[in-house]
Amino acid sequence: MTNLSHGIHLASASVKLGDRHVLDRLTLALTEKRIGILGRNGSGKTTLLRLIAGLIGPDSGTVRLDGFDPFTDRRAALAAVGILFQNPDHQILFPTVEEELAFGLAQQGLPQSQALGRAVEALKAEGRAHWAKAPVTSLSQGQRHYLCLLSVLLMKPRTILLDEPLAGLDLPTQDHLARSFAALPQRLVTISHDPATLAAADRVLWLEGGRIAADGPPLQVIPAFIAEMSRIGARDADADLAG
Amino acid sequence: MERNLTHIALFAALIAVLGLIPRIDLAAGVPITAQSLGIMLCGTVLGARRGALAVLLFLTLVAAGLPLLSGGRGGLGVFAGPSVGFLVGFPVAAFVAGWIMERTTIAPGTAATAASVIGGIGVLYVFGISGMALNLGLSLTEASLLGMAFLPGDALKAVLAGMITQSLARMRPASLLSRT
Amino acid sequence: MLTLISPVEIWAHRVPAGLKLGLLAAATMGLFALKSPLLLALAATATGALYLSGGTGFAVAGLRLVRPLWPFVLIVGLWHLWTADPGGGASILLRMLTAVALANFVTMTTRLSDMITVFQMLARPLGALGLSPRRLAIAMALVIRFIPVMLDRLVQISQAWRARSRRRAGWRVLVPATLAALDDADRAAEALRARGGAG
Repeated sequence: MTNLSHGIHLASASVKLGDRHVLDRLTLALTEKRIGILGRNGSGKTTLLRLIAGLIGPDSGTVRLDGFDPFTDRRAALAAVGILFQNPDHQILFPTVEEELAFGLAQQGLPQSQALGRAVEALKAEGRAHWAKAPVTSLSQGQRHYLCLLSVLLMKPRTILLDEPLAGLDLPTQDHLARSFAALPQRLVTISHDPATLAAADRVLWLEGGRIAADGPPLQVIPAFIAEMSRIGARDADADLAG
Repeated sequence: MERNLTHIALFAALIAVLGLIPRIDLAAGVPITAQSLGIMLCGTVLGARRGALAVLLFLTLVAAGLPLLSGGRGGLGVFAGPSVGFLVGFPVAAFVAGWIMERTTIAPGTAATAASVIGGIGVLYVFGISGMALNLGLSLTEASLLGMAFLPGDALKAVLAGMITQSLARMRPASLLSRT
Repeated sequence: MLTLISPVEIWAHRVPAGLKLGLLAAATMGLFALKSPLLLALAATATGALYLSGGTGFAVAGLRLVRPLWPFVLIVGLWHLWTADPGGGASILLRMLTAVALANFVTMTTRLSDMITVFQMLARPLGALGLSPRRLAIAMALVIRFIPVMLDRLVQISQAWRARSRRRAGWRVLVPATLAALDDADRAAEALRARGGAG
């Protein structure tokens, strides 16, 4: 009997854009610690993440995170789930590092001075105390990714959703970030274009056209995914317009 | 609603950026500052309420000490000087321009030009000229003559605001929040 | 982000922002009630002394802030010479320059965060209209955060233009710039919502 008070549970959840089903009646019970999501562009991966985070609500069906609805119960959602978007510049809201870090804590109820204090402590623990008053624009791309991760971690969510976290980064930065992620105690749900990065996952979902094309251990799903991608790549892919 | 807040903030940033860039060649090699163009766009794109709030937010930051007015001006001093009338008129201009955009159903480009002329010039200059008259001890006629110096540039910007809004409507109809 | 606030702190920095603003309002009203050029000259001298109390560097910085007014000084000066009313012209100019200089003095000696706090307090009665101090603070931070991003992007768009045109970028660059601002607003709203919203 599945324990519905723990984990991510979707029951026939759909998200539509106009007439198109971006996500089509998904039913999933995600309780593993490391979950990967594979799929082509436009398959609905990011929308799925947004749905789990409660940033959007399903057009039909239900979404439950540790027993509550993340779309309507935002307070509970803040403690349960954090999300890291692909482009740090699309999620950094404040001009300096310490303000950016303190924000999530202030949102969770901490007075601003305490939130700033905790933010600076966290930076010190990472050997980056000198970042505190630095303008965000002075950080490199990898450093901005790192800042976003730190901001999410400070809110201590139980699950972290990662949308292609390593895309566009140089190899050393990718390595460093990947190691940081691997060491995290939270549940991680990671979208990746690169199947290799999901080899260590407990479970991999392959999303295609808003539906689950495959769902299982990485050794099962990844080769099937790669084979299909090669097949499509051999044709003249991507000539169709979305409209 | 977070979207209202962020739209207001991002357009306040847009006004600031239009003051920070060196005078761009808006037309045939005539360099003019683009900032008042930003004011008009706040109205035509965001609509009356959000447009005015974006301008007010911008002015609040200027008052706080940020050099966001074209030419790197800012601080409380600009509100004590001769252009105070224009500053006060900016949010009103955006509101009127937005109001016109929201109320009419004529094509967005034409509507935006009309809105920019009525709001961004008509209403704005009433405030601006009054402000100059009070601050410089001039009669309204004298201040109007002084204001005429700025008029050709602003007239051009009103037309451009219309053209930009029209392009936006064509490229992405949903982008005109004043018309949704 | 560069501000007009003096990085070198003088005695006036320690005076509470609200008090400075109140005094400024009173002083400005007083200035506009004065008519005599002599009294206005006195006020202007006092203001000059105020600036010098912060040191010569400070005073010079203050002068720089008043410089953009020179066209008005020229016009008013010439006009009043033309109408043979030098006294009237002097009054107006002295009043204008003094008022601006006093206001700038407050700006130069008030930290950004202190000024924002005062504005938040002033905005509290507007709470009914949906403007909470917190929303104002988040909004202001967002503006400051996004100005360099948008400036960069505008420069990039202009360069992309120049890469394919002989002429400098014209008004059309404002179309993608505005669309990008709208997109940024959508994404920032989402990021804000993901971290508890602005409510």
